[in-house]
Amino acid sequence: MSDHRQSSAFQRRLARRHAAERRFRALGLAAIIVSLLFLALLLFSMARNGLGGLNWSFLTGSDSTDAATAGVWGAVKGSLLTMAVTLLLSFPMGVLAAIYLEEFAPRNRWTDWIEVSINNLAAVPSIIFGLLGLAVFINFAHLPRSSPLVGGMTLALMTMPVIVISGRNAIKAVPPSIRDAALGVGASPVQTVFHHVLPLALPGILTGTIIGMARALGETAPLLMIGMRAFVSTPASGITDPSSVLPMQIFLWSDQIDPAFVQNTSAAIIVLLAFLLAMNGLAIHFRNKFETRW
Amino acid sequence: MTSAIVLPVILALGLIGRHIARARAGRLYTGRGSLHSMPGHHGWHMALWIIVPALLFWALWSAIVPGLVESAVLAQPVAARLPAMDMERQAVLAEARELADNPAAAAFNPLASELAGPLHDADLRYGVAGGMLTLMLAFAGGAYGFTRVRAGFPARTRMERAVMFALLLASLIAILTTVGIVASLLYETGLFFSRISPVDFLTGLHWAPKDAATGEDFGAVPLFWGTLYIGAVIAMVVAIPLGLMSAIYLTQYATAATRKVLKPMLEILAGVPTVVYGYFAALTVAPLIRDLAIMLGKENPSTESALAAGLVMGVMIIPFVSSMADDSIAAVPQAMRDGSLAMGATRSETIKRVLLPAALPGIVAGVMLAVSRAIGETMIVVMAAGAAARLSANPFDSMTTVTYQIVQLLTGDQEFDSPKTLSAFALGFVLFIVTLILNIVALRVVKRFREAYE
Repeated sequence: MSDHRQSSAFQRRLARRHAAERRFRALGLAAIIVSLLFLALLLFSMARNGLGGLNWSFLTGSDSTDAATAGVWGAVKGSLLTMAVTLLLSFPMGVLAAIYLEEFAPRNRWTDWIEVSINNLAAVPSIIFGLLGLAVFINFAHLPRSSPLVGGMTLALMTMPVIVISGRNAIKAVPPSIRDAALGVGASPVQTVFHHVLPLALPGILTGTIIGMARALGETAPLLMIGMRAFVSTPASGITDPSSVLPMQIFLWSDQIDPAFVQNTSAAIIVLLAFLLAMNGLAIHFRNKFETRW
Repeated sequence: MTSAIVLPVILALGLIGRHIARARAGRLYTGRGSLHSMPGHHGWHMALWIIVPALLFWALWSAIVPGLVESAVLAQPVAARLPAMDMERQAVLAEARELADNPAAAAFNPLASELAGPLHDADLRYGVAGGMLTLMLAFAGGAYGFTRVRAGFPARTRMERAVMFALLLASLIAILTTVGIVASLLYETGLFFSRISPVDFLTGLHWAPKDAATGEDFGAVPLFWGTLYIGAVIAMVVAIPLGLMSAIYLTQYATAATRKVLKPMLEILAGVPTVVYGYFAALTVAPLIRDLAIMLGKENPSTESALAAGLVMGVMIIPFVSSMADDSIAAVPQAMRDGSLAMGATRSETIKRVLLPAALPGIVAGVMLAVSRAIGETMIVVMAAGAAARLSANPFDSMTTVTYQIVQLLTGDQEFDSPKTLSAFALGFVLFIVTLILNIVALRVVKRFREAYE
């Protein structure tokens, strides 16, 4: 009798525990769904406001005080020039630093300092890089304000740690047997790295580089510091001309009082997101196509 | 301008030199072991001797030449008529420079067009002289390199030494950046603190920066409060539960296939640029929050509110918290989980009583990193949080943050060394120190935690 009661109490408790289990699981799924709904809302709101404004004259025009004639080409060109400077500076520097730290650096205090500062730089708020750019490149070196040159250099300092960290991981993933084999047939350490390790690590390094560049492309705060918020109605013709960049154009338009600019802002956001999507797609493609599991 | 000619010429000379040295070394080859280094190494060795000294010289020359050109022009009789006032003088010189670079440009000041001629001549003279010297240096380097092409010469060792030097130099950039950040922030902050007492700055409650201001107007506490309230309270209230629960679902419940779909989708949230979040916060979220505030009976709520900025920032941080929690949970040994399940605990009981306590240090470190990200975030607060420095705990109030004020203070056309401008660097310095401490502590915690289970 009591046995039966106990067992029914047990059943009830078990049912309660299973209900708790289901609730917990549902809660987890709900968290993901809420996050994704937010993303969907964001994309939907941009698409609703902006798709109507995407046309050829918007894509080829430059900034204007009139919402109807304003376009993004000037900003896109500024972004491309800035990214070119960033890539040319941060990629070689990042890869060389990664090779040094992973393959040649002696274990000593200097190396520790380099490692600590790279790891910290990757986490420093981007606006601090803007302050550095303002203080060093503009006030100290007197480089042209608002130019893709200064913007690119500032973003390069920000992107380099990302490339170094992903580069080190890619180099670390190359098995030691490759190095041993190369050294065994008489290659020098430098030859081993440049002829054998680096080509095998390159897909991984490129993936990291693209991700770092995508981050730099969407960055606004540091460029605000170095004055890339000028009204530029003709696209920059070189890296020393005053220019705007795509995220900055979004920011400037979002500040406009004229409600007609809402469409422009949203359309520019769609253009920016399309670029980012393409870059991330490229990174994923690289990873899937060339990644080797050793 | 001359750089556009000189640099390609040097590089071309380097390539030619490489070819010559390689061909010559190739002819020296008489059989196995007859050369110390491969012909290719001799080629590179010579190319380096041509390019590196010439480039260094050209960089140096380009750095000192503007000063030389200016003094040459100022020595001309025309320059005596330049206005004595420093600012007008600079304006005329800048215009003359513009004209010298681009003769088609319109001249406003007749003096500028007179100066443009001599300026252009001086430019040309120094440019040609520098170019000639650079070329001579390239040839001299090439000649030296050429004489080194001998059978016994260790060209490879020399070249590899240069490569190692380049590698070291690239790594030092990282240290230089850190030093540059610290030095520039420290310098400007020092200038600021020489006018405004640090005690006033760090403890004052009133923030109203003006050019001619005393310490009373530079009390940054309302900014620190706004930053922490938005970044460390509101954003975390959103990000921690959502991030943690999604990490738990993805690691413990989802099948491999679902995980493969959901995780990248969640990570898109981290890839959206902050300016887009800021615009979304200002355009869509803020009006909703404002309606909510009216419903709750708040009088005249502003469209800018701490809640709108914090909420959107929290969503931005979700993938970050989620992936940190993911890592920490994955680092808990499987045996602990299996033990708990084997004792008859359900999965949720195992997660709540075993996995989460064991993963706690890692999760806490992840939250610290998330906070350091949130307080350094700029665009969302610039677009949605407002400019009013206010000590308030009401999330519907507009509040300002450190990053907002930095942007505000540095994007006008102020004098560079007014206390107002310098205070932005002091704020940046505080931000840098706080995020640095958060990062160092968090990384140390993560490291300890990993070691504990390995």
